[in-house]
Amino acid sequence: MTENGVNRPVTAPLLSIDGLRTMVSSRRESFDVVRGLSLDIYPNEVLCLVGESGCGKSITALSIMRLLPTPPVRVREGEIRFRGEDLLSLSGKRMRNIRADSISMIFQDPLTSLDPVFTVGDVIVEVIRAHRDMSKEEARSLAGDALAKVGLPDPISQLDSYPHQLSGGMRQRVMIAMALVLDPDILIADEPTTALDVTVQAQILDQLVKEQRERHMAMLLITHDLAVVAAVADRVAVMYAGEIVEQAPVDELFEDPRHPYTQGLLRALPKVSTTRRRLDPIPGLVPSLQMMPPGCAFAPRCPHALDRCWTEQPELATDRDGRVFRCFNPQPFAG
Amino acid sequence: MADGTPTHLEAWNLQLAEFEESSRVGPARAALGRMRRNKLLLLGTALGLIVLGAGVLGPIISGADPAFQSFASTLLPPGSEGYLLGTDHLGRDMAVRVFIGIRVSLMVAAGVTLLSLVLGLVLGMFGGFLGGWADRTIRGAVDFVWGFPLILVAVLFAGGLGEGLFPVILAVGLVNTAAIARVVRGEVLSLSEREFVEAARAGGLSTARIMWRHLFPNILAPALVLASYYVAVAIIAEAALSFIGLGAQPPTPSLGGMVSDGRNFLQQNHWGATIPGITIVLLVLAVSLIGDGLRDVFDPRLRHEAKGVDEE
Amino acid sequence: MKRVLARTVYMVIVLVLSSIAVFYAIRLSGGDAVAARVPASASAEEREAVREQLGLNDPFHEQYFDYMGRLFTGDLGNSLTNNADIGKLLTDHGRNSLILGVAAFVLVFGVGIPLGMLASLRRNSWWDGGIMTFSVAGMAVPNFWLALLAVWLFASVLGWLPSAGCCGPKQLVLPAVVLAMEGMALTVRMTRSAMLENLNQDFVRTLRSGGLSESKVIGRHVFRNALVPIVSLAGLRIGQIVGYALVVETIFGWPGLGQVLVNAVLRRDYPVAQFFSLVLITIVLLSNWLADVGYTVVNPRLRRT
Repeated sequence: MTENGVNRPVTAPLLSIDGLRTMVSSRRESFDVVRGLSLDIYPNEVLCLVGESGCGKSITALSIMRLLPTPPVRVREGEIRFRGEDLLSLSGKRMRNIRADSISMIFQDPLTSLDPVFTVGDVIVEVIRAHRDMSKEEARSLAGDALAKVGLPDPISQLDSYPHQLSGGMRQRVMIAMALVLDPDILIADEPTTALDVTVQAQILDQLVKEQRERHMAMLLITHDLAVVAAVADRVAVMYAGEIVEQAPVDELFEDPRHPYTQGLLRALPKVSTTRRRLDPIPGLVPSLQMMPPGCAFAPRCPHALDRCWTEQPELATDRDGRVFRCFNPQPFAG
Repeated sequence: MADGTPTHLEAWNLQLAEFEESSRVGPARAALGRMRRNKLLLLGTALGLIVLGAGVLGPIISGADPAFQSFASTLLPPGSEGYLLGTDHLGRDMAVRVFIGIRVSLMVAAGVTLLSLVLGLVLGMFGGFLGGWADRTIRGAVDFVWGFPLILVAVLFAGGLGEGLFPVILAVGLVNTAAIARVVRGEVLSLSEREFVEAARAGGLSTARIMWRHLFPNILAPALVLASYYVAVAIIAEAALSFIGLGAQPPTPSLGGMVSDGRNFLQQNHWGATIPGITIVLLVLAVSLIGDGLRDVFDPRLRHEAKGVDEE
Repeated sequence: MKRVLARTVYMVIVLVLSSIAVFYAIRLSGGDAVAARVPASASAEEREAVREQLGLNDPFHEQYFDYMGRLFTGDLGNSLTNNADIGKLLTDHGRNSLILGVAAFVLVFGVGIPLGMLASLRRNSWWDGGIMTFSVAGMAVPNFWLALLAVWLFASVLGWLPSAGCCGPKQLVLPAVVLAMEGMALTVRMTRSAMLENLNQDFVRTLRSGGLSESKVIGRHVFRNALVPIVSLAGLRIGQIVGYALVVETIFGWPGLGQVLVNAVLRRDYPVAQFFSLVLITIVLLSNWLADVGYTVVNPRLRRT
């Protein structure tokens, strides 16, 4: 949290994650999947959390919501502060009150994420009434408004629809309506467009950004898609092997990435403007979390790794330009 | 800056390779898993062989007449002189009667399995492969029979054909046919979409040839595994029906009938009911264990289907 | 709605086909009916006269329509063995069977489902182990054998319950438990696996993210989803109760429909056998139909709007 001072000097963070360690444990072994992650979310911003699948993005989000599949996954260490309280030490009941009301989440696959045997209206009404002292009728009309707001055609009659009667895009709109019906301060969106058709993806993304702007809420958008990041993010945090390797406002990150992994990601991006340029993938594989290199997690794939990188773990630090990244040997980016 | 890198990277790659090697499930562990499964199969087979042996060899070795009545020695407990398992209320040798009862059980089971396997395979394969009108008719009939309770069907058959083992075999066989046909049909449908069947079809092979050469060999294993489960069902059904007097008719000894006879004399000699009862349980246990073992070895997917637990 | 209508038509067709089949099957053994009416010493002419009197020489379809017509006018005929009025047999024994059947039904679902839920929610605990052991035992032991063991233990050794009889609550316990055992065991297993499967579904996470309490998430949503496969096989379970009732009623001397049918078949009392076959088939088909309708209700994916 201290490192971000230069990026966002003005306001205090809304939510701040400090030294989060989340582990998977089975009878045979246990290892961390989130390895000491610190991240602040400020009011009114869109923060994108980027990284390859398996790097711990979703686990981070579920740690915030306290919705980890426990066992085998649980938070081992760290704090998640929200309005002066540590979410991780709240009682179950207090945490339930925060979910949907203050912090909401939408998920990747809107088909499996909706209860198939209840109408969407039933579920939204239930969510409202878990937090507000309202009659069923009042809650239902509020649910109808929420569906209307996210651009669902014929919202009142859709309240009585079952998930299987809706298209993928409509289902995701229902998920958004449900997440936003109580006007939360933070929306966590975990790959909200990945499971959708390409044409629908843009619509859903537009809807999310529109809601974020209108409600002045903060949004943590988790994605592996840099095109999405470029389109919507205010700020970006890049994750690799359970930790953040670079954080920057979106323009800076795309123009001048500092961490070799971020640079690799951008180089791997197909560019329309440059002609006849080969795709340039990052060599090697994502390290297995059960078996991490002793030094920098990226060292085995890094073209510029030093001896030091193999023996010592770099800290996430702010350099003279106010850039935040985790590298001993940053190189200028030749995109 | 790069001089140290190759050695670091090489060392790391070596370390990674070692880690992967160690985390792989070793052959010893895999073999242990297989053994555990096979232990059930082994136990079932051993139990089955003992019971089978008693059924086949018992009467020959003993040489006694199962119908011979000796009113001087009725309701003797097991271990009485000359009677390994004692005698029943008519002074008949329990050992021989149990042995023959096992034979009867196994004969009924064999008849039921043969009938349901052949008919189930034929109906399921034709229905699944031909589709359309034939499939709808077969499926309608199969669903109808499948939804009927076994015992009721057997009693209805006994009503039409008279009591005896034949209507029992027919009734249990038909209900089991429906169960097998359902599964076979499903298998055929999924196989029909696979490349080798498509290729055979495109290659102009006749329907009969495709079914016989390509579908049948692939379906036989799951059908056999399923049938092995229904052997236990058949044994229980025969015993239950003989118990209420609709199965094997005297003087043919049957395990269910013996339990029924014995329960009238529980006070004097409970063995008359206990011995055939335990024999039935052992028989069912042996057959179920063999069935479970076969299922694990050949087709783990079928486990739920066979128990009627997770359909649709 | 369309599905329910289709299932109704299917049920009626099957009912008609079954009645023809039963009627024909009973006619196959019609000679025995004559034997039951006349002394063994009767001459061929006497037998023929009885055949004629019973209408056994008419064409099959005439006999069938004649019989069905009489059924619908409430003229059910009399037993060949004791001349009892079949209508009265139906009401008397039907009442007893209903008591036994409802008790078994309550045990299969009313006890089986909660036990399965308990096992799933206390997974890998002693509760789970105990319940699942009980369930495996319930499926492995043939019910007539279980009946004998229960009678031996609770009636002979402990003397807590009567070994047979009708129709008080004390007499009901053993037959109801024995009748329900296998269905209960299967329901426990199925409820447990369905609950566990649905607890792992994504929608559970969504509901929790909406701030719903665990009792709402599990008691309402997971449970309602788990109910779908249970209800889809409820018809089979009820059919099983009807089928096993034939055995269990006979063992415990419970004067119900099953006992009447078994005795009628054993005594070649063909009017009784025929009528009660039809009654039991109708009960099975109706319960299958009801379970089907129930399945449409609990599974909205089958509904189209």
